[in-house]
Amino acid sequence: MIKIDSISKEYLMGDNKLLALNNINVSISDGEFVAIMGSSGSGKSTLMNIIGCLDVPSSGDYFFKDDNISKFTANKLAELRNKEIGFIFQNFNLLPRLNALENVVLPLLYSGKNQKERNNLALKALEDVGLKDRIHHRPNQLSGGQQQRVSIARAIAGSPKLILADEPTGALDSKTSIEIMTILNNLNAKGITLVLVTHEDDIAKYGSRIIKMKDGQIIEDKKNVSN
Amino acid sequence: MSLTDLIYLSQKSLRSNILRSVLTSLGIIIGVSSVITMISIGSGARQEVEEQIERFGSNNLILRSQSSSNRGVSMGVNSINTLTLKDMEALKNELPAISAIAPRVSLSTQIIANGNNWLATVTGTTNDYFNLGNWKFELGRSFQDDELDSGSRVAIIGKTVQKNLFGTDSPIDEVIRINKVPFTVIGLLDAKGGTAWADLDDTIVVPLKTAKQRLVAKKFPGDQIRSMTINVSSSDLLFKTEKDIDTVMRKLHKISANGNPDFVIRNYAQFLNARQESSRVMSILLATVAGISLIVGGIGIMNIMLVTVTERTKEIGVCMSVGAKKRDILLQFLIESLMISLIGGLIGIGLGLGVIFGVSEYFNWKMSLDYMSLVLSFVFSSSIGIIFGFYPARKAANLNPIDALRYE
Repeated sequence: MIKIDSISKEYLMGDNKLLALNNINVSISDGEFVAIMGSSGSGKSTLMNIIGCLDVPSSGDYFFKDDNISKFTANKLAELRNKEIGFIFQNFNLLPRLNALENVVLPLLYSGKNQKERNNLALKALEDVGLKDRIHHRPNQLSGGQQQRVSIARAIAGSPKLILADEPTGALDSKTSIEIMTILNNLNAKGITLVLVTHEDDIAKYGSRIIKMKDGQIIEDKKNVSN
Repeated sequence: MSLTDLIYLSQKSLRSNILRSVLTSLGIIIGVSSVITMISIGSGARQEVEEQIERFGSNNLILRSQSSSNRGVSMGVNSINTLTLKDMEALKNELPAISAIAPRVSLSTQIIANGNNWLATVTGTTNDYFNLGNWKFELGRSFQDDELDSGSRVAIIGKTVQKNLFGTDSPIDEVIRINKVPFTVIGLLDAKGGTAWADLDDTIVVPLKTAKQRLVAKKFPGDQIRSMTINVSSSDLLFKTEKDIDTVMRKLHKISANGNPDFVIRNYAQFLNARQESSRVMSILLATVAGISLIVGGIGIMNIMLVTVTERTKEIGVCMSVGAKKRDILLQFLIESLMISLIGGLIGIGLGLGVIFGVSEYFNWKMSLDYMSLVLSFVFSSSIGIIFGFYPARKAANLNPIDALRYE
């Protein structure tokens, strides 16, 4: 599904060039559950942002389903994010003015689905994460775990092939973290490719494959045998 | 993303900060209400002038007798009639710019007819009076030459006189008694309505000669008359002719150039010009207020939209991460600023209507609501919203998704 071919990413910090990613090569197949680990500054978030088409590499090629998307325009990338990729963030990133249902509908608005269709899809997604009775609550009326479930519903509402989760349990207690990871596991079991960024071993062990990064390079890439 | 979805999202974010939205549109509110008031004052003044011309005829000067004041003590307007038919003939002969003159004698007296009593102003004049004063006939006819020459007892009456003496019945061929003298009614004038100072329809018109012989022989002896309505052939000559009449009259009455005249010339155009001028000054003032407040209002909108874009940078990042294109973000912010300015426009229209109503009610100043001004206000306020909202909206749309998402 994903093939990353000698990708580097440079940032300019004043006069200094910071090499966030240094010549990375990695492939991810359909249905994999990949956990990317590393300490802060290791380049794991940068890699995930590039995989999620939120950021573009300084050099190298990125193939998503055989398309070389390093050549895509901003609008084509937006379309790709809309149709193929779902995001789950550490601090949920829900729009505070919209209720749960409207937040989940948001990506479907941008894909131009009609009102009936997108409402049905959003309701189904909220049902899948067990929040059917909370659809008219605003984010500030929901607990952290509920908010993260809304954001999972938003990620899956458009039936993407790939879901990216950036420290999805970082702001949650351990009991709620387990609930969230169980939901993600179930999604992976249904065939959705999952890429998870974390620095916690407990969370990483849910993955079927663990990639460890340090200083912009992959230092370890192996199947998770404990699973 | 459809327009209704965009409007839904925009009103949601405007409503979340309703006080700010209304304050932001204050400039537009003031600007639009000024535009509406300005246009109404202008078209009201124009209409009033047209109505006055319709009533009193255009290009007319009124020449009236005036008792010369003696050491500041006026002898009263009616005490001496200094104008004569000779003056009228002389003016006609000397000034080619004069196309017609209607002489006038008048008295206020008791009218009896049909068992009813009425006090009306009786005017003795010629047929020119009807032409110059823009009078139309509802029934009957004007005077015939032999009636004017022989001093026949015929009368033409106004609507108010008809109403009070005959009700709605036709007065033609009825006999009315003016100062006990019987007159036959030969015509009924069309209604003109009242002005602030007089009911123009409360009038009776008889031939000049008849009036002088039978009604006002003592008041206007010989060829004395009360006043004359002088029609000038073109409006360009109106002011020059006014001066010429003054010169000719001083020569006829042997009054030096700086002596006190025993006549007065009323130029109705002067009043109309003053009225038009004052409403023009008012319009310019309001146009300035409107222009400045629309621009200030636009800058206010731009300012608030820039703040909003900064405040919602992270939100923009979230929208982009779930698939919003540049166009979607641009449109959303553009529609927000358009909505602010349109709401301002609507409130401004309301305020403007209130001002128009208040002014015309309390100052008795004629204002007419022009529907074009409503359309114009909408065009004004929406273009302000789009023009001043464009820069902030483009700034939002051009954000890099990952930078926006990381913004704290």
